[in-house]
Amino acid sequence: MQQLITTVLTGLTLGMVYAAFALALVLIWRATRIVNFAQAPMAMITTYLALVLIDAGLSYWVGFAVALVSGLLLGALVERLVVRHLTGSSEINAVILTLGLFIVIHALAALVFGSRYRSFPAPFGLRGFQVGDTTIALTGFGVFTIVSVMVVMGLLVLLFRGTDLGLKMRAAAFDQEISRLLGVRVGRMLTLGWALAALVGSLSGLLIAGGGLVHPSYMDGVVVYGFVAAVLGGLESPPGAVAGGLILGLALSLVSGYVGSELVPLACLVILMAVLLVRPGGLFSHVRARRV
Amino acid sequence: MRRWTKRWTRVTALVCAGALLAACGAGEERERDPAVEGSTVGITDDTITIGGHFPLTGVAAPGYSEIPSGHQAYYDYVNANGGINGRKIEFVVRDDAYNPTTTSQVTNELVLNEEIFAMVGGLGTPTHGAVVDFLNGEKVPDLFVSSGSLQWGDQPDKSPFTFGWQPDYEIEGKIIGQWVAENLPDAKVALFLQDDDFGRDGEKGVRQFIDGQIVEVQKYQSGNTDVAPQMAALQASGADLVLGFTTPSYTALSQLVSLRLGYQPKWFYSNVGADPALVGSLLARFSEGAVTDGTQLLDGVVTTEYIPGTDVPDDPWMTLWQKVWDEHGGEGELTNYRVFGMSQAYTFVQAMLAAGENPTREGVVAAIEKSGADFQGPALAPFRFSGESHLGISGMQVVEIKGGVGQELTPVLVTDIGDAPIEEDDSAAGDAPPPNGIPEG
Repeated sequence: MQQLITTVLTGLTLGMVYAAFALALVLIWRATRIVNFAQAPMAMITTYLALVLIDAGLSYWVGFAVALVSGLLLGALVERLVVRHLTGSSEINAVILTLGLFIVIHALAALVFGSRYRSFPAPFGLRGFQVGDTTIALTGFGVFTIVSVMVVMGLLVLLFRGTDLGLKMRAAAFDQEISRLLGVRVGRMLTLGWALAALVGSLSGLLIAGGGLVHPSYMDGVVVYGFVAAVLGGLESPPGAVAGGLILGLALSLVSGYVGSELVPLACLVILMAVLLVRPGGLFSHVRARRV
Repeated sequence: MRRWTKRWTRVTALVCAGALLAACGAGEERERDPAVEGSTVGITDDTITIGGHFPLTGVAAPGYSEIPSGHQAYYDYVNANGGINGRKIEFVVRDDAYNPTTTSQVTNELVLNEEIFAMVGGLGTPTHGAVVDFLNGEKVPDLFVSSGSLQWGDQPDKSPFTFGWQPDYEIEGKIIGQWVAENLPDAKVALFLQDDDFGRDGEKGVRQFIDGQIVEVQKYQSGNTDVAPQMAALQASGADLVLGFTTPSYTALSQLVSLRLGYQPKWFYSNVGADPALVGSLLARFSEGAVTDGTQLLDGVVTTEYIPGTDVPDDPWMTLWQKVWDEHGGEGELTNYRVFGMSQAYTFVQAMLAAGENPTREGVVAAIEKSGADFQGPALAPFRFSGESHLGISGMQVVEIKGGVGQELTPVLVTDIGDAPIEEDDSAAGDAPPPNGIPEG
């Protein structure tokens, strides 16, 4: 029984991390209509930045804040300096460009920060909570992860549904020409979309790193699982991304614990196939007609 | 635009022609000295070029990336003291990032472009496994693989040019199994294994002695850092002794997760994953989670040792390694991984000296088969080298980590694969280094 509880709880915590990453992918998809594969190494870089500051003796929260702000800046810079030059060409070019960025940032990080494993501190305890004689596999940091992902999801829903800015961002992504005619400053909206997505990506990087080991490719697995989570949720919907992340984290944890850890990547693909066969637009899709 | 294209075509043609000529030249050099029997590729009158593949980046880099720096320091030391029969050793290191595909590629480069005489210390079971056939096909001596897999030495007729070095995982498993059977006969044992030869060979050895005591076996995939489901299964089995055949990163991860789950069995890690300095440095930071000092977390962990390491700085071998590192080392401290590299390099120099004044590829293999079992060196137990076996060091001792230092629990235990009995044998543990630190020819 305790094994089941432990496996479920660790799966849910891990699923929340996938959800955080999936939220970043959803955000950039809704704001610019591309999938950003460079999200993971961008988050890795900002996490390393936090680690450098923490190593220098500053508190965890200073590193945390700097990582988030630098994520925001990095996102804006990448859009302005690199992605902007592809405006007007096919969307697939931008996606391939992000794959190129993935490799470049990886190599740079290995040069600058070295490629060995380093431990990354956590601001809360790493021991599970005690209930009577048993230890529940939920730590202070796990709770922090869950709460912060739920807050981000709520903020994104508010942004896209409840504010003018969100409406403008969606419009700019959907049809640049008409949005311009309606007075939306499309360039700014795209930059903002990248910046916000990179901010959420940085958060997911920090959440994965906390209380664990980091190295330049520590986010690579999350790209795959985060992307699958986002697609499960339909790529459009923040709650869908969170649900997708939770389903995936839970399922993979159960497969790993009760079937065999060698089957985890396979199980991930089977889930993706099953969901796409039943609901091609993802679990939370409601806009299929629009893309025809 | 067109002119440029033309120019490039010419330049490309020139480069290609040059490369072709160079390649022809290389071919000629191979038959340079027909008087000597066997191949002398990689050997000139004043140099010996050797190569090695190591993970300098990626998942296996922590610790292991330091091994080639130990090799290099010792070769520099030997070169500064006259080299091997007047020849200086040139050690070419290539990064394979612990990826077998890359290992094949860099090994091709080392053998065909760099024209190495021998591969020395190539690291990793999956990685080196990808190039063993190629090296043997090219008749390149493949000396002292940095991995304890059985495949390097149990079938010398299949890969006659390959030799192991460290104790293989099966005899380590046997020695661990016997120790558990004798000292903790009532323990409920769980195995936590890397899902490859490392875990498999180790399990095979352990099961010879405590098959009935094992209540649970869990495996992890190298690269997947989420081991919580595996630890939960170990915890659920009620095991109170966990035997881990893990790499250092996974030793640290298993400790972290067991902290999260409140799981406190007794831990026994195989030699590979139990370096207190490295695992301690990975864990030291988690002070807010109640681990105040990384080495303290490993207190009471049982493991094995087969060469003297940094925890015994007064050992004569450690004095030698410290001197070599101080004089010729690069940046950083002398670590156990660098000591491992130097100890391996020492055996290589020994083998080259045993091959005589005019070593050939075939000659060095024959020399190790003939006299390798009598090589004296830092290892606590003798090598098993012979015509029938290319397996390396034959034994180890069980130690318990206290404050980052290994305390002996047993004398040196020596055995071989299969049903060979385990015997106490301290004969090799007393070997002292030669005064000049270079093996005698």
